[in-house]
Amino acid sequence: MKSTLTRRHMLKLASTSAAALIAAPSMLRADANYPSRPINVIVPFKAGGYNDRLARAFAPFLQEKLGQPVNIINKGGAGALLGHSYFLQQPDDGYTILCTSAAPYLPLNVLLQDAPFKVSDFQMINLPSQDYTLLATSKDSGITSIDDVIARLKADNTSLSIGLQPASADLVNLMLLMDMSGISREGLRLVTFDGGGPARNAVAGNVVDIALVGGQGFLPLVEQITPLLTFDTEVQDGWGGKLITDLGGADAAFVYGSQRGWAVHSSMMTSNPDVYAKITTAIEAASKDPATIEALTSQQLATQWRGPEASNKALADTSKVMAQYVDLLKGA
Amino acid sequence: MTRPQGLRISFGHLALLAVICIAVIAYLLDARATSLKPNNLLLVQPAALLALVLIAMVIPQCFRRASPDTETDKPKETWGDLAKVGALIAAFISLALMLDVVGFDLATFGFMVVALFLCGERNWLLNLGYSAVFTVLLIYGYGAIIPFPFPLTVL
Amino acid sequence: MIDFGALDAAFALLSSSWTAWVFVLPGLIIGLFFGAMPGISITMAMAIFLPMTLYMDFLPAIIFLTAIYTGAGFGGSVPAVLMNIPGTSSALATTFDGYPMARQGRHNEALGLALTASVLGCLASYILLLVLIAPVSHVVLKMGPLELFVIAVWGLLLLGSLSGNSLPRGLLAGVFGVLLGTIGMNTAGFIRGTMGVPWLLDGIPTIPAMMGLLAASQLLGLINTSYLIEDEGLRKISMPKILSGVKMAVKEPKIIIRGTLIGVIVGSIPGVGSSISNLLSYSEAQRTSDDGESFGKGNPKGVIAAEAANSSSEGGAMATMLALGIPGGGATAILLAAFAMHNIVGGPSFIAQNKDIVYAIIFSNFAQAMLLFFVGLGFVYLAGYVVRVPLRFLIPSVLVVSVFGSYAIDGSASGPITLAVFSVLGWAMVRYDYPVAATVVGLLLGRLLEGNLLRSYQVSGGKLSYALERPGALFILALLVLSIVLSVISRARKKRRLSVRDAAES
Repeated sequence: MKSTLTRRHMLKLASTSAAALIAAPSMLRADANYPSRPINVIVPFKAGGYNDRLARAFAPFLQEKLGQPVNIINKGGAGALLGHSYFLQQPDDGYTILCTSAAPYLPLNVLLQDAPFKVSDFQMINLPSQDYTLLATSKDSGITSIDDVIARLKADNTSLSIGLQPASADLVNLMLLMDMSGISREGLRLVTFDGGGPARNAVAGNVVDIALVGGQGFLPLVEQITPLLTFDTEVQDGWGGKLITDLGGADAAFVYGSQRGWAVHSSMMTSNPDVYAKITTAIEAASKDPATIEALTSQQLATQWRGPEASNKALADTSKVMAQYVDLLKGA
Repeated sequence: MTRPQGLRISFGHLALLAVICIAVIAYLLDARATSLKPNNLLLVQPAALLALVLIAMVIPQCFRRASPDTETDKPKETWGDLAKVGALIAAFISLALMLDVVGFDLATFGFMVVALFLCGERNWLLNLGYSAVFTVLLIYGYGAIIPFPFPLTVL
Repeated sequence: MIDFGALDAAFALLSSSWTAWVFVLPGLIIGLFFGAMPGISITMAMAIFLPMTLYMDFLPAIIFLTAIYTGAGFGGSVPAVLMNIPGTSSALATTFDGYPMARQGRHNEALGLALTASVLGCLASYILLLVLIAPVSHVVLKMGPLELFVIAVWGLLLLGSLSGNSLPRGLLAGVFGVLLGTIGMNTAGFIRGTMGVPWLLDGIPTIPAMMGLLAASQLLGLINTSYLIEDEGLRKISMPKILSGVKMAVKEPKIIIRGTLIGVIVGSIPGVGSSISNLLSYSEAQRTSDDGESFGKGNPKGVIAAEAANSSSEGGAMATMLALGIPGGGATAILLAAFAMHNIVGGPSFIAQNKDIVYAIIFSNFAQAMLLFFVGLGFVYLAGYVVRVPLRFLIPSVLVVSVFGSYAIDGSASGPITLAVFSVLGWAMVRYDYPVAATVVGLLLGRLLEGNLLRSYQVSGGKLSYALERPGALFILALLVLSIVLSVISRARKKRRLSVRDAAES
């Protein structure tokens, strides 16, 4: 008896609100007045990580441009799969936006975790942070250059222990480097860590001989490590050592690391184009605001405006390469 | 030597062991199905086998010779007591499952009313009043500090 | 090792900016309340107040956040003692003896003990920090997988002491916990035992599982009891009794010092921290005490050991953060973010160039610890009233609070569902005399054990000789063996003494 009452009550509530949605020209009004209430930013990671810090640091400037408070909601877990799914379940009305490491997590969710979505369900607005793999060693390791590393591995591919995260862009880069240098992939002494931080600490403490990890996170450890190889076409963050293009030429094969920033539902571009335009404008304005740039730069957070087109292309490119190496990503 | 009463079998204990045993075997099989590499099984396989050995060692403890002196130690638990615990467990599980479905407010209030009754509060006025006040306090209290919205129906 | 010039400057800094002190009290109170709410982690409490500190000066901002840190660190002990709910994994060992004490009507003493051990542990850890900050930072990064594995094994020794009446049952409970703790994606990227549930990829959520096994299972079993403390005369809230707990704690400096050392050292290791240190300290105290067999049944020393270690882990984590600029856990990650908001980057250069600020932070933490004692006294006095609430109200209320707490952890139904499953499991285990605490310890250590065993295997390429290259691991192992041998000897000696006395008496 009680449960039927409850259900009836729920149904009634649901139908009234649905009726209100259909009957009232609320969609149009929502467009015109957007944003008329606070906006939620979903961060699909636990508090304290890069995306969380980025979202919290950017929020004050974004809410200034949007004219509504911005709340940060952390929905961590399962390599961002839970947060991404949760985000897509929210309406595409512009009151929920996403701040995530689109690469590698969106492709990984799809390739390895049977995610209930496609990468193209997410429309990138701006991915200011584009990380790159840095191959580094401890200051005390006695290894001085990438040539040294390659020579040792060529002589015996078990001679060095290699720290990295499983299922990462860094792993793909390592294998590409091995292929390029003619070193067998089989038998490499891979040491897998549960996050970039532990892997970096391990190489800084000379627990592993070399490590391949996202380069930006190495900045606080600059005094403990020697950078050997940057997987990028140009020098990043002033690291020494070589570039992958120095070894393999201009068309050397490599993938970028984490690409982090702001995204919305792709469906919004057709269902609420005006809202989409407003969000894009606000994020662009906030990203370019000198006050934002000053605040974020000092926290070692990226704020560069790349725009939707470049951001989506970068993500799509990475997804394609990762799909090619899906077997590598499936467990070491 | 042996007492005429013979064996007393603790079926509840056997059931618990069966659950643990099934869980361990299922986990081991699932892990082995994933990959046979040491990187996957290094700890899981030996630990699972150890668990199975330990289960085998514990099983005999489910069959005890009944000795009258141990039974008089504790006041005997009646079926009524056990039924009450069962009902409370059922209510608690439904609370956990229904939160998202009917909303935190209704689920919590419903559970409070049922659980208070089960725990022995027979004054309905007090029961309903306390449940309502506690639900409201909790939802607004936790709601104020946690960064997620509670799915709500009425409040 | 102490730079007296900078010391002077630190005092000048602290005495000149009175605003820094205004935030200590609110920070502590916020921390206490948030910490005492099941499911609200220290990290979450700090993250919520982080934006507010953007508008403060640097020093007040850091003092405010560390005050929350300190307060929340103790806050978690209150529900651990009164309701067997470890709101965080660092309060786990507190439940082992704290809750039995409460059930026996010694809740006042238990809370006084916990508070005092926390305050002393925290104070001592910051004193150590003052002296050790540089050397600690050198050691921390050298901790490899083998060292961490040995530490995890050390934690597992607890299983033996938690076993109670039947060793096989105790071990089974522990091994089962370890297995449960390895469910999900392991460190090499293999996914096992998730049954297709996405949130199990990260493993079983430990805090809801812990609350279910320890707290909810107890409550379900208490349905036919009318009060937490059966003897009405003992259901008193008494400041003198709380203070007698304070005295008891002060009389055990050995346990506090050992707990603090374990806390600082283990707490300074990134990713390990207070959730393990309280277990190690408890296990050591139990093994070395004359009355070790009464641990787990309401021995005050257990509470002291656990609390001294978990609160001193804060100092260890701060050392790593300040010296290396890397966060050991969520709370220090938030502090680093606060540093960054004020354009300050932690790390070796920060310490070298800003000794005065580092010392100022350390001194303000001394003050926080001392103030915590007085604020905490008031807090535990009020919290003690829980024992006077009839169980017919307490059981449903606490069950609901634990459901909200388990939801609060990441805002999804995964928490409540885990809580419910594990409370049923826990209830059944308690009923058939299995030590649920062993399962919880296994669950907490499972991931650490597997990850580091695996990494040791990977680094060494499977060669045992690798251990010889790791003097640190051998040293910890030697300590471990020494501690076991000593406890065996002392137990044997005690037995002999007793038998001699018995012989003399008869």
